[in-house]
Amino acid sequence: MKSGKGLVCIIDDDEAVRESLRILLFSAGFDTCSFESADDWLESEDKPSTDVFLLDIRMPGTDGTELHRIMLEQGSRVPVIFITGHGDIPLAVAAIQRGATDFLTKPFEDGELIERIGSAIEQFRQEQQRDRELADLRRRFESLTPRERDVLELIVDGKSNKGVATALSISPRTVEIHRARVMEKIAAESVAELVRMAENIRMSSS
Amino acid sequence: MTHDLPYNGSASLDALLDAAVDAIIISDDEGTIVQFNSAAERLFGYAAADIIGQNLTTLMPPPDRNQHGQYMSRYLNSGQPAIIGIGREVTGLHASGRTVPVHLSVGEIKSGGRERFVGILRDLSEQKKYEAAVITLESQLAHADRLVALGELTAGMAHEINQPLTAIAAFSDAGARLIDNDNDAARTELKNICGRISQQARRAGDVIARLRRLSQKGELSKSSHDLQRLVQSALQLFDHEVRRSNAAIATHFNHRTKLVPVDEIQIQQVLVNLIKNSLDALAESATEPAQVHVHVEEEDEHLYIIVEDNGPGVDPENEPHLFEPFFTTKDHGVGLGLSICRNIAVAHGGNLRYKRSERGGARFTLSLPLTYIG
Repeated sequence: MKSGKGLVCIIDDDEAVRESLRILLFSAGFDTCSFESADDWLESEDKPSTDVFLLDIRMPGTDGTELHRIMLEQGSRVPVIFITGHGDIPLAVAAIQRGATDFLTKPFEDGELIERIGSAIEQFRQEQQRDRELADLRRRFESLTPRERDVLELIVDGKSNKGVATALSISPRTVEIHRARVMEKIAAESVAELVRMAENIRMSSS
Repeated sequence: MTHDLPYNGSASLDALLDAAVDAIIISDDEGTIVQFNSAAERLFGYAAADIIGQNLTTLMPPPDRNQHGQYMSRYLNSGQPAIIGIGREVTGLHASGRTVPVHLSVGEIKSGGRERFVGILRDLSEQKKYEAAVITLESQLAHADRLVALGELTAGMAHEINQPLTAIAAFSDAGARLIDNDNDAARTELKNICGRISQQARRAGDVIARLRRLSQKGELSKSSHDLQRLVQSALQLFDHEVRRSNAAIATHFNHRTKLVPVDEIQIQQVLVNLIKNSLDALAESATEPAQVHVHVEEEDEHLYIIVEDNGPGVDPENEPHLFEPFFTTKDHGVGLGLSICRNIAVAHGGNLRYKRSERGGARFTLSLPLTYIG
């Protein structure tokens, strides 16, 4: 079950810590799921679609930092917030350097916990939105014919219809037709928007 | 090398004695030295010519010096040997006045109706030095071990206590958020939360109780022990330290009851702690002469082992905290010594108390009931 605020996946070997986090996050409007070990999560058949992981750094079996490494290897981009005791801060810092989103020391300040979880989810969702838009845009660009793509590139380079016609040895009238098709397929409102979209695609593929 | 009333001294016997590595001294039944080999000359710093004819007591420091005559006449009258055929460690007195630890074995020679005694002595100075070094090393290691163990203990304990505290904090925060939701589900959850909070508070308490039990090192194993010997063997551990410092430890045993029901190791641990504290305090102060006085008194079915010194004593400000765990005034102390000592005393049905000594320094009294308790 997924509500607006997002699903937090808690992985901690201490039942009391898990349960207290579950109730606290529930009271703050988040959905939760929990696992008592990294191995349990790794072995689970259908993993819930998670917006943020709360990961205990020290656990029997596969520990938090190891699980994080596995997630990164599998290409996961779901944010990971480590929860640590005071003695584990160097470990947590190392994890941040490897790409973890954040870490919190036990015991938590509830406001801080909720705020950090909220902002990790927000950031994640923005990234996902950007990814979706980009994928969509890429699909649209891929629907262009080779000739339309030539026209687009010259327009993006700042050429006028006439310049494009000269460069491609076609009539300005034909350029106009191609250009209208390009604008339609890409769904750009103006040449300025078209240029911006083309830049985004170029940047994301470089 | 023979006295004029010899013992049919022959050149070959002299050569034999002088070839021996151990010091060999022969005396008559009054303790008059009649033979003194080369090794004995080296050990005691006397030439044979000078010492032959003198009494054996010349080679002994007090108290043996004053009592040797009695030892000999007791043996000659009763035939009960105190040292003959047994051998033991004794202290010799070098011509220079310094004392020498030696191992002494004594045999007797009966010839021509007159009793003679032959003593074979081996210098133990080197061995003693080595033993002292080992003891120092061992006590340093034991201390390091304790610190390491304590470090691990506090790290482990911190984690063990932090977990329930984390849960308690999160449960309470959740409760505070839910309390405004005026519905049955929230009320049920709140009730659950309160239960969980108290459960977690107890969990933290259990961790602390476990730690307490650990610091007491398990059950007492009491059996009857000779208190005087127990005190003396605790003091032996400080032989080396005392010899190096200018402090002296005096003992007085004024108790009638010989055997006391105690856990030998734990009571020794208390005594070692108290004596060590005294010696440490004296080492830091300039008191002259530095003295530790250990005495045992008996009164009203209790034995009182009192350790006092003429050092600076405990700062009155610190007195109320003396027995609190983790209270220390030592740079490298962890502050568990006296707290554990008092626990041991209490576990024996006794107590450990402090007051300022009439000698000016600290005075700790360990009381132990004579009747067997638990």
